[in-house]
Formats: sequence, structure tokens, C-alpha cells
Amino acid sequence: MRVQLTKRLLDRQIIDADGRLVGRVDDIEFAIDDEGYPYLDCLLTGQRVLGERVGGWIGRALVAIADRFVDDPPVPPVRISVSLIDRMDSAVRLRVRAGDLPASPLEVWLRRHLIDRIPGAHRASG
Amino acid sequence: MRKLLAATLGVLSAIGGFVDIGDLVAASQAGARFGMAHAWVLLVGVLGICAYAEMAGRIAAVSGRAVFDLVRERLGPRVALLNLVASYVVTVVTLAAELGGVALAVQLATGVSYLLWVPVAAFAVWLVLWRMRFELMERVFGLAGLALLVFAVALVALPTDWGRLGRQAVQLSSAGQGWSAYWFVAVALFASTVSPYEVFFFSSGGVEERWSAADLADARSSVLIGFPVGGFLALSLIATAAVVYHPSGASLDTLDQVAQPVVLAFGGIGLAVAVLAFFAVTFGAALETGLSAAYAAAQYFGWQWGKRISPRKAARFHSVLLVSVLLGVLALLTRVDPIQLTEYMLIISAVALPLTYLPILVVANDRNYLGDRVNGRWTNLLGALFLLLIVVASVAAIPLAIITRMGQ
Repeated sequence: MRVQLTKRLLDRQIIDADGRLVGRVDDIEFAIDDEGYPYLDCLLTGQRVLGERVGGWIGRALVAIADRFVDDPPVPPVRISVSLIDRMDSAVRLRVRAGDLPASPLEVWLRRHLIDRIPGAHRASG
Repeated sequence: MRKLLAATLGVLSAIGGFVDIGDLVAASQAGARFGMAHAWVLLVGVLGICAYAEMAGRIAAVSGRAVFDLVRERLGPRVALLNLVASYVVTVVTLAAELGGVALAVQLATGVSYLLWVPVAAFAVWLVLWRMRFELMERVFGLAGLALLVFAVALVALPTDWGRLGRQAVQLSSAGQGWSAYWFVAVALFASTVSPYEVFFFSSGGVEERWSAADLADARSSVLIGFPVGGFLALSLIATAAVVYHPSGASLDTLDQVAQPVVLAFGGIGLAVAVLAFFAVTFGAALETGLSAAYAAAQYFGWQWGKRISPRKAARFHSVLLVSVLLGVLALLTRVDPIQLTEYMLIISAVALPLTYLPILVVANDRNYLGDRVNGRWTNLLGALFLLLIVVASVAAIPLAIITRMGQ
């Protein structure tokens, strides 16, 4: 698959097989094959990896905020193997469900400490 | 009727831009000080927001991407973050003002100080955001906001000199108030008609309603009915104030003075309808700004967002919503005047406006998103002209604000 990485892949929305929003392509990771050629291995998503990419004091602030609202910092980013990508249009669409991927630690923290404590959190308003 | 129901998303989006709490007073003030001399600004603003809302709605319908998705994808994480911060500040301060506006409307009805109503208003707004179905919310508050049409009706009942209003609209004059004050008011009115949260809300609402390419006609009629209706409501506020206040040059800065022309025309019943209308439009604008703040943050970071899924599955989105409403309440409890709060946002809007509208225009020409539904030549010309106008207005806003001390 030939794509212009910065234009077509970085910062795109990642969507699972059911249409759930998984995260954004905050960074990408390369690996090196047996013959020494680099290839695109994983998509990375999470505030921490985004903060590291943005850099500077703003990036550090993003990292600090990300670490404040998780249970045991520092959390690694969610890694999504390129082999899980189904297709790419205006978003990166995966062939798996969000439930089969590691959950976002921030989402889990806020759900446990805030949202689940409010009555009605389990019902969609539609 | 079906067309009107399909258009309620556009109407509700427009309410936050044209007749929110700041604009209820600002539009009436413009009418009192300058007569109809700012009518053209509303016309230009309606044309501009229609062009951009149409593009944003088309992108949302065809690709499922809302406006802040595009901002992040086109501007990259850093510049988009600058826009997110500026847009979030503008939107949440406006949300605070709207919560204050809801409370002021209730104060007008009950006589009990608005500060006591602020927590009640905030809780009611949050409850709607937490529980009410998106389409129902959009219809209830979009249609209830139309109660503001009572101002247009009052214009017919009052001894309106239509010829004079027409002349004021065509022969521009600063009415002895100075041209820098005139231009400050023009820039402030223009900036509020093209507020960034209108397109955040409109495009995200399209995604919430699962628009597809088959809904493009509905999306377009929502734009072409909703925003002109918003502009018409604001125009009728300017006109009634011009009829009642402009001859004597009386100044105007509270909500009950805004309602005065309707009271003169219809007495107590007029006041009741006006108060109901103020309540509906400020409540609607509070919903719009609250959701827009959370939409922008969620879309920037790629979080799950929306009212279609349970809050626990969109915990980050609902946390931002809750925190934004609480921040609004805190801002109001400093006893800052809610009506003046939105005026100061003009300066921060100057950062957010070009950084929001440029990505829309760029993506509206991108075949990867839109296939063969990309902009035509005329839409691009209109879009580019408005982007230029927005930049000029943004740059002019700050010196004008300083020279005129916020339009004094």
C-alpha cells in the first residue's frame, strides 16, 4: 500500500469495524525487516504520544495532563498494527472492533471516577 | 412542515450566532444608536455563514467528518491545538453568558435575582445535554426560538415609518456617534454571525443525525432556511430598536429594555412572549455552545463523541461537557455581567475564525473526502472572499476595540 504518510495517515481519525471512534493517528512507528529496510509497523494513539510529537512546553503540558488522569502513569500509547487496517478514505478504518483493542486509559479513568457515578450513564439518549 | 422540521438544526445553529444573549442586546443597541445602518452587515454575515455551513454540512454528509476533524487533519496537531484553545475559550465563555441569559430571562419573569437562577439554569442545560435525544432537542429549541418572531410582528403593530427604516439601511450614516464606533459595532455584529461554534455544531449535528450523501438536499435546505431565519430575527431586533429608541437616541443595555418595543406594541402578553423567546434562544444557545466545546475537544483528540451512544462509552466527551458547564457557572458567580461577556470574545475569535474556516474551504475541494461533490467555482470564489473578509475583520477588531473602548 503506497500512501503519503504525513498527508493521508497522520492525524486521521481511526474507526473500528462497527463505526466506533478509536482515536487519532497521533504518531506512527517503523520497524526494520530482515533485509534492513524500514517498514510501517504500528499506528500509535493517545495523549501522551501526541504530547511527545507536539513537543515544547505545550507538548509537556499535554503529557502531564494525560498522566494526571490515569491510574498508573506513565501509560504506553495504544498500538494498532498496520495489518489491522481494512481501508483508508477520509479516516483509517480497522477490520477489528474497539473492544478487541486495548482501551484508552483516560477513558477508563473518567468512566470509573466520574461518569459511571452519575445516574443514567448506561443509557444512550439517542 | 417537513422542510421546516428538517431545518431546525440550521435554525438552532443560527440562534447561537445571531440572537444569543450578547446579540439580543448588541443588535438592539445597534438599532438604538445607528438605526438600520448595520442591516447590510447581517446580510453579508448570513451569506458568509450559509456558504461555509453548506460546505461543512456537505463534508459531514459525504465523509462523516465534522469540522474539528478537518481542523486537526489539515492544520496538524500544533496549529489545531492553538485553534482548539481559542475556540474552547470563546465557546465556554459564550456558554457562561448564555447560562446567565437563561437566568436573566427567568429573573424578568419572576423578579428573583438572576444569580440565584444560574445554578438551576446550568443544571437544566446539563440535564438536556445528558439525556435528551439530539433530534428532539434540536426541534424543541429550534422551534421555540421562533417565538422571537414577536419582534417582527411588533414592527407591524408599532407606528413604523417603513420608508425611514429603508433610508437608514441604504444611506449609511454614523448618526453622530463617530465612524470608529460605527465600524466597531459592524465588526462585532459580523464576527458574532460567523462564530466558529455554529459550524462545529451544525456539522457535528449532521454526523449525530447520520446524514449520508442521500441527505444532501435536507442539509442544504437546513442551511438555506435556518441561517436566513436567524438573520431575520436579528434584523427585526435592530428594526424595533430603531423605531422605538433611535429617534430619541436613548441608550439600551438590559434585557427588559430589549423587550420594551414588544411591550409597547402588545402590553403584558407581548412581554410574556418576549420573555419566553429570550428563554428559548438563550437556552438553545447554551446547548449549542456546550456541545460545540465538547465536540471540538473530542474531535481534536479523536475521542468517541455524540449523544447516540451511552455516556459511559463516551466518558471523555461527557466529562468535557460537564466541566464546561461548571466553568460557565463559576465564571458567572464572579458577578461579571453576562451581557458584556460575549463582547470581549471578539478578540479571541480573531484567532479562531481563520483557523476554522480555512480548513473547511480546503477540504471542500479535496476529492479524497468528497469525490465529485467538491466545490464549484462560484462556491470557491464566495468562500475565498469571505475568508478574506473574516481576516480583515479579525485584524481590524483589536485596534477598533482599543480606539473606541469597546464601542463606547
